[in-house]
Amino acid sequence: MDLDALAGCLASSACLVTQTTSGLIIGMLLFLVAVGLTLIFGVLKVVNFTHGAFYMFGAYFAMTSYQATGSFVLAIVCGAAGTAILGLIFERVFMSRVYGANVLMQLLVCYAFVLIFDDVVRLVWGPEFKSMGMPAAFQVMPLFIAGGVVPPYYLLLIGVALAAAIVLGVGLARTRLGKVIRAAADNPGMVSALGINTGALYGAVFALGCMLAGLAGALAAPVRSLTPGMGFSVLIESFIVTVIGGMGSISGALIGALLLGLIRSFGSQGFPLFTDGLMYLFMVIVLVARPTGLFGKEVA
Amino acid sequence: MLEIRGLSKSFGGVRATDNVTLDFADGSLTAVIGPNGAGKSTFFNLITGAFRPDSGKILLDGYDLAGSAPAEIVRHGIGRAFQVASVFPSLTVEETMLAAVGADQRRAGVLHRRFPLPEMRDRAEHAMELLGLAGKRNRVASTLSHGDQKLLDIALALVLDPKVLLLDEPTAGMGPEERWRMIDKVRELWDTQKITVVFIEHDMDIVFKIAPEIVVLCYGRILASGTPAAIRSNAAVIEAYLGTEHAGGSA
Amino acid sequence: MTELQAERATKTLTTPRDDAASKGWRYLDVLIALAAFAVLASLPFLSSSKALLDFVIRCSAYGLFATSLNLLVGYTGLTSFGHGMFFGLGAYSFGLIMQRTGASIPLAFVATLAITAIVATVIGAICVRLKEIYFAFVTLAFQMLIYSTILSWPSFTGGDQGLRGGIPRPVFIGIDLSNHVQLYLFSCALLVLGLLAMRQIVQSPFGYTLRMIRDNAKRAAFIGIHVWRAKLAIFVMAALFAAIGGMVMALFVSGAYPEFAYWTISGEGIFINMLGGVTTFLGPMVGTVLLLILNDTVTRFTDYHGIVLGIVILFFALGLRKGLMDFVVDWAKQRREKGGSA
Repeated sequence: MDLDALAGCLASSACLVTQTTSGLIIGMLLFLVAVGLTLIFGVLKVVNFTHGAFYMFGAYFAMTSYQATGSFVLAIVCGAAGTAILGLIFERVFMSRVYGANVLMQLLVCYAFVLIFDDVVRLVWGPEFKSMGMPAAFQVMPLFIAGGVVPPYYLLLIGVALAAAIVLGVGLARTRLGKVIRAAADNPGMVSALGINTGALYGAVFALGCMLAGLAGALAAPVRSLTPGMGFSVLIESFIVTVIGGMGSISGALIGALLLGLIRSFGSQGFPLFTDGLMYLFMVIVLVARPTGLFGKEVA
Repeated sequence: MLEIRGLSKSFGGVRATDNVTLDFADGSLTAVIGPNGAGKSTFFNLITGAFRPDSGKILLDGYDLAGSAPAEIVRHGIGRAFQVASVFPSLTVEETMLAAVGADQRRAGVLHRRFPLPEMRDRAEHAMELLGLAGKRNRVASTLSHGDQKLLDIALALVLDPKVLLLDEPTAGMGPEERWRMIDKVRELWDTQKITVVFIEHDMDIVFKIAPEIVVLCYGRILASGTPAAIRSNAAVIEAYLGTEHAGGSA
Repeated sequence: MTELQAERATKTLTTPRDDAASKGWRYLDVLIALAAFAVLASLPFLSSSKALLDFVIRCSAYGLFATSLNLLVGYTGLTSFGHGMFFGLGAYSFGLIMQRTGASIPLAFVATLAITAIVATVIGAICVRLKEIYFAFVTLAFQMLIYSTILSWPSFTGGDQGLRGGIPRPVFIGIDLSNHVQLYLFSCALLVLGLLAMRQIVQSPFGYTLRMIRDNAKRAAFIGIHVWRAKLAIFVMAALFAAIGGMVMALFVSGAYPEFAYWTISGEGIFINMLGGVTTFLGPMVGTVLLLILNDTVTRFTDYHGIVLGIVILFFALGLRKGLMDFVVDWAKQRREKGGSA
């Protein structure tokens, strides 16, 4: 425990800026992953324990694409699209078989695939830590805001994540597909009775959720190291975010993710060894006070 | 004696139960009737503790049960059977009865043998025989017919020795013949066990044939209460609920 | 008393199963336990393989853990994702007490159970009010919290290195646990006794209360059962048996490692239960043996045991759709029914 360091950081505007932006990018990445998770849960009523694996694939797809073509934009697209397609296949072939089953079965199927996916990545890309490296366009001088160091890539990351959030929010609220999705979340039986192809809908939603996780992975690739199994800690953290924010709530996921990101970054100042523990403590506190999360609805 | 005083409950803006005051004498048999949405099930839910009343008292032999948890209320002597039979799917009929008695006995716990006391077995046996389920004792509850599950539901409520038995639509989901069989059983139980029985029913033929006392609920309020003859000739009841088919006339 | 009670007092009913037969229940279980222990105890004399004994000791530790988890999952319907925390807690408490105090093994054993009971009561009181998936998550959160605490307190717990320096094994009532065969017998004894105790819980009226809660908690409340209290009670009891498993593990590896408290232990516990089946009492034991054999075999043949393990899981989850013992029981039932109608 190093409370002096924490106090010192809070007092210094430079440290404040650095840690806040760091917390923001952790938060925004978490948000993308978490919102995918919460979307899948809200509509399909299933907890996607493989979600972290799609984050991992997003990163690896992006890295390989970038190494092949040198285009950052293409890398992001590959990461997102690749995971969307993979997610669709996975959902149609495997996940759909365990929709009615109890949560342990679903957990088991997902756990099986986590094991398989991790090994597949190890097979194809190798077990060592890999890195994509910062794309040339961003290898520029960091910005200095109030004395704090802010790499411009961070701003892009935050921007893209925010844009995705806005598109998602508007899409769900205004477009026909969005309305159908929200209806399915509320009353799946009714939606199928209305003649809507629930199979296609579920596939689309699952793919969308995985795509968001993949997008997060692709965005994270330049600033994180890649390794098989990198999905696991992201999975746990995005769970914490969705549970804190409330399963099924997008705004909850945003608030939860930002809170968690800030706890992580400032927490690492004051509690370097217990940073993870802080997150879990926070989760326990929130859940004890509000078992359905900050914005969650009571599950009937 | 079960005394209800000024019982009220609102959901959102809707007064589901509106200042209900009633007495159920010891050993009485009362039918609660009323149009859909009149608040009959809510009334039962309030008495058994499924909902907490906004105001009012629920006095069982003078003790106010309002606001208590369902488990407490059951232990004080109010048993309930459900409209949709609520049983334990994986347990056999006999296991269900024994388990219920076992849970009732405060002494029976972790250290005992399976179903230790002969007294427990007797109670379970008795309840099964009363409801005609003894022959099906080894059937798993989920494999029972709908009617048998309703019987099991009632047996579950009965095996705990309640002072008051609340039956929520005991004939729900049954064809006409089965319905009469069920209500005859209810009447038989009431006759032999001498407990207070209150049941919700929609079939007016049954109600007027069987019940010595009738309570009519409408919009959460008591519209009328009394003997079948009194209810039949009650203008308000006729207008709100009965129409002219059952009005006036003799039994 | 009511007429009902008076009526019954005068009635004498012949019940199908009388007192003597329910006595038979308990004795049958004890008999089976003794026989099993006899078989296990004879192994060191029939085979000189240390690996075999090691395998059984690990089965004891995991078997106790997995069966205790089934008390929650299979019998009460409480899906805990964090049960592994008590396995780890048992291992670390025992290890720390033995290392830092001069306590005898029996004393440390009892003290560990006491600590586990206290922690489980606090955590359980918070968790059991929650519904299903939220219960699962909060138990997981608590487990990870404990894990993080273990990691971030190196001065006390050894951090990510675990408890080093081994666990002292002072002789107690003539038993010397530094002797491998005696450790083996001790573990088997704990396994058999633990299973017997859990069997008693499950077959008692309280065990049926749990089944009622699992099947229909709402109705259980309307039978007068205090659901919350019952859930808390079984949560604590299950924690105790998990801790015993942890202690066996700690003795076996002569230490305690953070992995013992990591979420993968909980995951393996659940996996074992699904493999072996949750509807029979010995299902988890069968699952334990299966999983350990699977793990050992697969790691010997290939580096990519993730893929193999994953495929096996899918076979059970998507193919059989039930655990092995569940499958066997159902299959036997079907054969009986077919034979009867022939």
